[in-house]
Parts: sequence; C-alpha cells; structure tokens
Amino acid sequence: MENVIVTRSLTKVFGANGNAVHALRGIDLEVARGEFVALVGPSGSGKSTLMAIIGCLDSPTAGTYTLGGESVERLSGSALARIRNEKVGFVFQTYNLLPRATVSRNVELPMLYAGVGRRQRRERALELLEQVGIPEKADRLPSELSGGQRQRVAIARALANRPALLLADEPTGALDSKTGAEVLGMFQQLNRQGHTVLLVTHDASIAALASRRVELHDGLVRTVESRAD
Amino acid sequence: MSRTGAFTLRLAESWTEIRENLGRSVLQALGVMVGVASVLGGFSISDSHQARSDERWRKLGGMERLNVQPAEAIRGGNPSALQSANLGLRRLDADEGEEMNRKAVNATSVQKNARARVRSPYADQTRQISGIGGDFLPLNGYEIERGRLFSTSELEAGAPVCLLGAEAALAFFPTGDPLGQSITLGETRVVVVGVLRELVFRWRDGDGNAFAWRNRLIAAPAAFVATRMQGDKYSRVDRVTFKIPDLSLMEGFARELVAVLKSNHRLQDDFRIDDIAARMRKRQSQGQVYNIVFLLSGVLSLIGGGMVNVNIQLASLKERVREIGVRMAIGASGKEVFKSFLTEALLLTLLGSLAGLLLGVVFAKAICSFLEIPALLRPTSFLLAFVVAAGFGVLFALYPAWKASRLSPMEALRYE
Repeated sequence: MENVIVTRSLTKVFGANGNAVHALRGIDLEVARGEFVALVGPSGSGKSTLMAIIGCLDSPTAGTYTLGGESVERLSGSALARIRNEKVGFVFQTYNLLPRATVSRNVELPMLYAGVGRRQRRERALELLEQVGIPEKADRLPSELSGGQRQRVAIARALANRPALLLADEPTGALDSKTGAEVLGMFQQLNRQGHTVLLVTHDASIAALASRRVELHDGLVRTVESRAD
Repeated sequence: MSRTGAFTLRLAESWTEIRENLGRSVLQALGVMVGVASVLGGFSISDSHQARSDERWRKLGGMERLNVQPAEAIRGGNPSALQSANLGLRRLDADEGEEMNRKAVNATSVQKNARARVRSPYADQTRQISGIGGDFLPLNGYEIERGRLFSTSELEAGAPVCLLGAEAALAFFPTGDPLGQSITLGETRVVVVGVLRELVFRWRDGDGNAFAWRNRLIAAPAAFVATRMQGDKYSRVDRVTFKIPDLSLMEGFARELVAVLKSNHRLQDDFRIDDIAARMRKRQSQGQVYNIVFLLSGVLSLIGGGMVNVNIQLASLKERVREIGVRMAIGASGKEVFKSFLTEALLLTLLGSLAGLLLGVVFAKAICSFLEIPALLRPTSFLLAFVVAAGFGVLFALYPAWKASRLSPMEALRYE
C-alpha cells in the first residue's frame, strides 16, 4: 500500500555541544494511506517534536522524511508553508480558531492561502460545516460555540484543502468525556471515509480506537502494536 | 484586486484589528496625524503668505519687469571727454530698447521725477511730480477712474496736462470735481484731465494701506517735466521700464539692452539694470526655506510617531504570536503574515493621514485668521503631506511586519 508518511533515521537535536538535547534519536516510521495511527508516549518522549516535524512545522536535524510522496526534510520556510497548507490538516487541543473571524471565515482561511476564489471558498466551507454537523453556525463567532462545536469547526478547517494527512494533537484534551467521544467518533468516521489520521495522545483508551499504536520513548519508537480486527 | 479577494479580506481583518484595539490604534494614528497636520499647516501658512505677496505684485502691475535707472559712472577726478559727452539715460534709450526686441517687450514706460511747489485754489504743497511716458499707468497698476489718459500728442509735445492720484485729488481739490480744473506745477499752470482710481493693499485685514503713497501721484507728460520744469532739451529720464511677459526671454533681452545702452552712452556704465522677476524669484526661493523647515518639523513628528508605532506594533505582536502560529500552521507563508501586518499599518496611516489633513486645514485656517491673511491650501500640499506620511508609515511598519513574518510556526504555536 502507498505510504503517506515515511521517515528514515529521523533525528532532532535542540541546542548545541555541551547542553544538546536529543529529542529524536532515529525514528523510522511508515504510515499507509487510510491508516488511523495513534502516537503515544509519556511527556518528554519526543512525541511533540515528532508531530511538529511530521506536520512540517519544524525541520529534522538529520534523516529523511517523505510526506505524500514529497521529500520535505530540506524545504525552505515558504515551501513548508505550502506543504502544511496542501497536505496537512491540523486539529489542536485548544481548537486554535481565530476569535474575530466567523466560523465560515475560519474554515475558508486555508483555502484563501491556497488561492481559492471567494465564492468557491464559501461553498466548500458550507459543505464542510454540513459534513461536521454544524451548518447553521457558519456566520457565528467561535466564542458563541460550545467546545465540541469549536472542535468540529477546527476539523472542517483541517479538511478544507483535502489534505493527505489529518494531524490531531490531543483533540479531546479540552473536552468533557461525552463530547470527546463524539469528536473521536468523527475521526473514526473520517478514517472510514479514507482519510489518513495521525492522532497524538497520552490517553491509552483513546489510543485503543486507532488501528495501530506507535509508542515513543526517549526519542525512539519503542513498540508498534496493530489492533487485530 | 486579486481574484481571491485576499486583499479585501486582509483589509477587513485589519479594520477589525484596529477597531478591537481602539486605544492602541488611536495612539498609533496620532503621530501620523500630527505629522501630516504640521506639514500641511506649515505649507499652507507659507503659501498663503506667498499668495499675499504675489497679489501685491499683481496690483503693482506685475513683476515681469526690467527697470533701467541712471547710475554714477564718474568716480573721482575730472570726467574724461567721453564722460562729459555722455547724455545719460534718455527717452531714446527706451525707444531703442523697445525697437530692439519687439517680441520680448510688450510695454515700455519712462519716468522723470521732479520736486516742485504744487498749488491749487485749495492747497499749496511741495510735492513729487512724476513725468511719465509710454505705458506708465498699466505698468504700475494705475487705472483711470474719471477723465482720460494723456493723448499721444500731449505726451510727445509735453502738453500742460496732469493726472492726479486719489489722495492728490482729494488734497488739492477737497470739494468739487478736479477734472478740467487748473493746478500749478512749479511755475506752469496745467489742466487736470484725469483722476486715478484709489490703490489699496493691506498685508492683513485691518492694517494700514501699504499703497497709500502711490495715491499721492501727480503725473504730467515726461517731456513736460523735462522741458518746462527742468529745461532739459535731451529728454533725460530717471527710469525706463520694459515689460517682458515671457520671463525666459528676460536674460537675453537684458544682455542685448546693455550693449545698446552702452553704445548710446558713449561706452559709459552709467546705468543700472534691475530684473525684478529675478529678484523676486530669489526672495521666493528664500521663502522656500520655510517650507523646508515646515516639512522637516512634520517629518520629525512622523519619525517620533513612527518610533512609537514600532514599539506599539512590537508589543501587539506579542499578543498575536499564537494567532500567527495558527495561521502559519494552516498554510500562511511568512510573506502572507508580512502583508497582513503591513496592510494594518497602512490602513492606520491612511486613517491617521486623513485626520491629519483635516487637522491641518483647521490649523492653517486658525493661524491665517490670526495673521489676518486669507488661507491658501494647495492640492500639492495635501498630496505631499500625504505621501510623506504614507512613506514613513510604511517605513516604520516594515520592522514589526518583518519580525512577525520570521516567527517559527512551532514556537509561535506554543507561545503562551
């Protein structure tokens, strides 16, 4: 099967010489198209660093990384911005919506950066809001929405440019268990529809929903467990 | 405007940002406003003054004039034969000057002054008599109010006729109409054929009439003054004036004139040429020093305001680091962030400038009304004030915008 993510000997070192911190010590990871992978590990294990590199928010110190068939480890800042825009859909723990823009504007934003025309943007935004179940909130401000609804807006925004990878960082961390379950259900549903999902979490019960669990420890992949279904 | 409406959206976002942070935005716009007002107000004050001075010249008959006056050529010792034979500035010089270059000259006048006792049935005073010839009246901004000009034959013959300025008419004929009355200039009785309109010019409303002395004019034909009052058969004159409407021809004309006059005057340098326009241009360029001072004070306040803006902008950048991180995470490039910061600064500058232009108008009107001169606001002053403000607005917005655009997306996202 085609791989969305392929990393080879990925390392990341912060600082230099005496006080260098080796956050990643050589990660070999492959995520196939259509997989639902949970990335787990205790804090300090390097999972945030790995997520940042996989999301093209940061560059590795050494090693190679191929995202959706494109080699990205040596790309410049603006090329990485384009990759983030086209290939990665981020969902954050704290939603990270722009507070002064309407829900629809928030969803449209990645399309604006991609140069999509105004009318098309609006149409696609409404379609996505329909898909995440809150079409009636299009012209509201994020502050008028509940936490669960805000995370749905964030998911709609992540999907805007049809990314190769949905990257969720503790997406239920700020939600109560019932709403959290709904949001997770949405990720499962998106995965069934063919989306590749990489979910970063420290919660074992959430990780259990994924088709594969990758556990990080001290900057190395310690265990990879596939769920047998 | 782009197809995606990205610019409009940036503008709308900037507007929201400005509105949501009104206090901060007003502070930022204030510096621009004061700078623009100071440039515009300063320019207007200096322009208004200039306009006043131009108005005075227009009333004096225009400044596109070349005056020739006699000067002393003999310095110590006995005059040489050539110097003795020289007859000085004469009517002939005026005629030849005009003949020499009809294209450049559109009017010529001569003036011969005398001081004499002037008597009417009502008054007896010693006054300046101006012997005039050629186009003296229009060249000096005089107009006939009643009566008539001297006829050509009267000018040629030096006929015993005279014109009275408004003040002179009132002084010598306090009651009744002076027209047709006799008046004695020196020992000769002349007839008053015309009265001139009163000339008025005030630097400020409420000031005295700066042209009062000009209403004292008592004018007779130059030939009359020369022959009948001074016994001079060579028609010597005290001043020849050429009107040169096209100032570009002035210099060439002056050069030719010097040659002609020198040959007429037996190679003596006994005349002085005064290019009034050149003198005024020099004075005007001195006036422009004030404009530079005003521009400089405006620029200084723009620089002061600009530095404040850089600080405010950097402080507000801190508040928005996370938002910038989010934008970058979903695909905004550094360029995009840079543009949105710059758009906001430009919008603020624009609003500040508009307020500044308004304030500048008020400023100019207030000062001009205090100086009691009419305020003049030229469109170029508005444009210049605006361009300077916009230039500095952009200049000082560059650094914070650049800083914002260089944020690392990951660090920005984690910023608390």
